[in-house]
Amino acid sequence: MDVFIQQVINALTLGGLYALIALGYTMVYGVIQLINFAHGEFFAAGGYIGVLLLGVMGGMGYMETHPWLCLSISLVLTMAYCAFLAMGVERIAYKPLRKQTRLAALISALGMSIFLSNGMMLARGPLDQPYPLQYSSGGFEFGLITINNLQIVIWVLTAVLLVGLNILVFKTRIGMAMRATAQDKVMSSLVAISANKIIALTFAIGAGLAAAAGIMVGLYYGSVRYDMGFVPGIKAFAAAVLGGIGNITGAMIGGFIIGTVEVFGAAYISGEYKDVFAFIILIAVLYFKPTGIMGENIDDTRV
Amino acid sequence: MTKKMIGGLVSGLIVLGLLVSNAPAKTLKIGMMGPLTGPYAADGNDIANGVRVAIDVINEAGGIPGFDSIELFPQDTACDPKQAVAAANNLINEEVIGVVGAYCSSSTIPASETLAEEDILMLTPASTNEKVTDRGLPYMFRVCGRDDDQAPAAVKFMKEALGAKTVFIIDDKTTYSQGLADGVNKSSQAMGLTVLAHEHVNQGDKDFSAVLTKVKAANPDILYMSLQNHSSGSLMAIQAKRMKLSSKILSQDAMFHPNFISVGKEAAEGVYVTFGFTDPSTPAYKKFADKFTAKHGKIGAYAIYAYDAATVLLNGIKNAGSVKPADVKAEIMKLEFQGASKAIKFNEKGDSGSSYIAFKIEGGEYKPYWHPTEGFYK
Repeated sequence: MDVFIQQVINALTLGGLYALIALGYTMVYGVIQLINFAHGEFFAAGGYIGVLLLGVMGGMGYMETHPWLCLSISLVLTMAYCAFLAMGVERIAYKPLRKQTRLAALISALGMSIFLSNGMMLARGPLDQPYPLQYSSGGFEFGLITINNLQIVIWVLTAVLLVGLNILVFKTRIGMAMRATAQDKVMSSLVAISANKIIALTFAIGAGLAAAAGIMVGLYYGSVRYDMGFVPGIKAFAAAVLGGIGNITGAMIGGFIIGTVEVFGAAYISGEYKDVFAFIILIAVLYFKPTGIMGENIDDTRV
Repeated sequence: MTKKMIGGLVSGLIVLGLLVSNAPAKTLKIGMMGPLTGPYAADGNDIANGVRVAIDVINEAGGIPGFDSIELFPQDTACDPKQAVAAANNLINEEVIGVVGAYCSSSTIPASETLAEEDILMLTPASTNEKVTDRGLPYMFRVCGRDDDQAPAAVKFMKEALGAKTVFIIDDKTTYSQGLADGVNKSSQAMGLTVLAHEHVNQGDKDFSAVLTKVKAANPDILYMSLQNHSSGSLMAIQAKRMKLSSKILSQDAMFHPNFISVGKEAAEGVYVTFGFTDPSTPAYKKFADKFTAKHGKIGAYAIYAYDAATVLLNGIKNAGSVKPADVKAEIMKLEFQGASKAIKFNEKGDSGSSYIAFKIEGGEYKPYWHPTEGFYK
């Protein structure tokens, strides 16, 4: 039983990270029907900027005196940086292609992904970049179960970001504008909603969430590498499709499902096939329900 | 007419003279292959730099008679079997005499078969899988140790030095890591150490929480961590520490890298690794270390073996006075010397013996901890 609970804890942590990344895919798809394959790179960029910021603060000696403050500041700055990065990428690589076929933008996205990941390699080298701090000791223990402080940070932060996003999308005027743009760009522009601004904002929010996941992965696993965006990116994409691409709640649920299936597959069936389980579930769900789990009310809630 | 003839003759002579004086400089070409990019780039570049230092040392001692210079052709394998074969083909096109490499056993094995078709000598500084020298290739040599020596040494260490009764084995399914894990599994059974489980993960995985939870539940005395690369290893060590795993961790030569400690930090403390013993007090080591650190900085795990491999190759060519593979091989087999890494003498298979000892990471350094025949170091 202890082992089972521990695996649930592992699954929640991993699932939360997938959910944060999956939101970016689903939001962008909801608004412009583009699968942004460069999204995994925003996640990796978040991890990289986090290393730099925490390194600088550590160098100035603030890391020991105010670790939580440093962490919060770097989180906010990293999210902001990646939000601007995503807006830049959208402007350079996607906006000029908006009137072209969807395939053109998709290929542009793949190119951007390769460009960003190699850019990070050239900037910082091919080696793992160690995170300057590791909360490896703090945590709680109940029998065999351990909950690390960092896992709690991930849960809380994930929850705050997910709730915050829901409020933003469903309770504010900006959210209403986003939903309107997603439903009909022409109609929404007739009521004075600037589609360009809303699309840029969608990219920014998605990348900010991915950047938060990136910095948490760096802290939790202790290091980041230039190519770290690829596999989590693909899994988060699977999560978004599983939940019903375009649907925010669906992406959150999809992220947790993929995380859970992966952890329990590795724990109770076989560790070497853990990546396979996530995709088997994806195929199975799509076979019976091609729109994904939350895909049916796509017109009301998609962003 | 005669004027023209004389003119033609003179200009002909001038051209001839130019040809003679500009006879092409004779260059000895040797190759190097290893992962120069990607996750194992650190190890590949260590190997390339080790070879460069060996070339510098030979050049300072007067070079190789009959050649004006030695040129190195480094090739990137990215630790990928297909790219390793392509690298081998590139080196064949460059007409190299011998190759130092590769790093991953899964690259060395297919690349060596391509090189063998052209009778090119290959000396691996880092591939420890048995099959590398067990396939009867005439021009395959190995400067590092063998996994069928490393595995029993590791089991002996767990049993005798750490007093372990149970072990949990994890590997990441590469030729090297799984081969070694299977070896440890077999030796454990032969030597009376209980293997609680043998689990596999994927090369390049980041999250090991599921498998480590299983380890924790099984509560072995030792977690034997057989992974291809130190970056996976440091991730696993950190996550094990987070889970408050009480088992000791033993790993192998791939974790003998400064980056394992710089990423793993306090999680790397107390981890044991098996690696070849190098006596830092020999003049050969000191000479290598001075030259290497002056030019390339920190000495990575396999730089020293690459240095010795290149030294063997270059001395073989020098002593043979020819670049015929059979002659060079005959001279390499005659070599018996104290290298920078260890005493080197090749057997008929092309192996040069293993010298595995256990190291313990303490204070951010690999400290020699235990020797299979001499016991604990002080």
